[in-house]
Amino acid sequence: MTMAAERQMELTLPMVDDIEIAAARAAGNLARELGMSSEKIDEMTHAIIEACINAREHSGCADNRIYLRFVGTSIGEGPRIDVWISDHGRGFDPAEARSRRPAPGMAHKRGRGLQLIEAHMDEVDITTQQGGGTTIHMVKYEKKS
Amino acid sequence: MNEELRVAVDRRTNGAILYTKGYINNVGGEEIANRAYELMDADARILLLNLRETKIVNSIGISILIEIIEKMMDKGGKIAFCCLTPVIHKTFQIMGLANYATIYENEEAAVQDLAL
Repeated sequence: MTMAAERQMELTLPMVDDIEIAAARAAGNLARELGMSSEKIDEMTHAIIEACINAREHSGCADNRIYLRFVGTSIGEGPRIDVWISDHGRGFDPAEARSRRPAPGMAHKRGRGLQLIEAHMDEVDITTQQGGGTTIHMVKYEKKS
Repeated sequence: MNEELRVAVDRRTNGAILYTKGYINNVGGEEIANRAYELMDADARILLLNLRETKIVNSIGISILIEIIEKMMDKGGKIAFCCLTPVIHKTFQIMGLANYATIYENEEAAVQDLAL
């Protein structure tokens, strides 16, 4: 049986300007340690940046904190990074947010964050409830089967 | 955190090349916009943004780039980009920039095609 190399990291970050860069760098370093390619890391870090911006701009949370958890594993076909980004804010309706999304490729000034996240990551799952906060779980694979 | 964007300008006869260095977020986007609007006011009608030293953009920064493109289109001019990383190129396509601004692989091709 092959043992999986695993790295884990948990961060609690204040919602201040450019804090998304700290989150992205931490995840990027973890992915790099596990041998993920720079192109995949770039895609993942851009998704993390958008998720943190969404939390900062739209969550309306009272504690002004973003909670992050990264789990990296490397087995078989290469690294896999799981990312959880949570806030304790007001929550939102993902279906309603997607319904407001402009068509792909159409120039539109705002409202693309979730679309970019879904385009840059291999799996995206959102858990949210009104007044109960939001957690976005995203997965990036080196090689998606 | 120091993620300040820097913009250097190479003025050409009919336009300019803007070299960005750093993160294009809301602040970085505004910095590019300020320089671009100064150039437009000075009758530059072709602006090439060389993003060789920009590795990260966010959707707010891109929304400001779209505003610059719209303003230049209103003036009958043109905005183009070159030297994008693959993820920034992909992001520009999703955000719709690729429909309104030409994206070149390198500066030489852009300068030749735009006659800058």
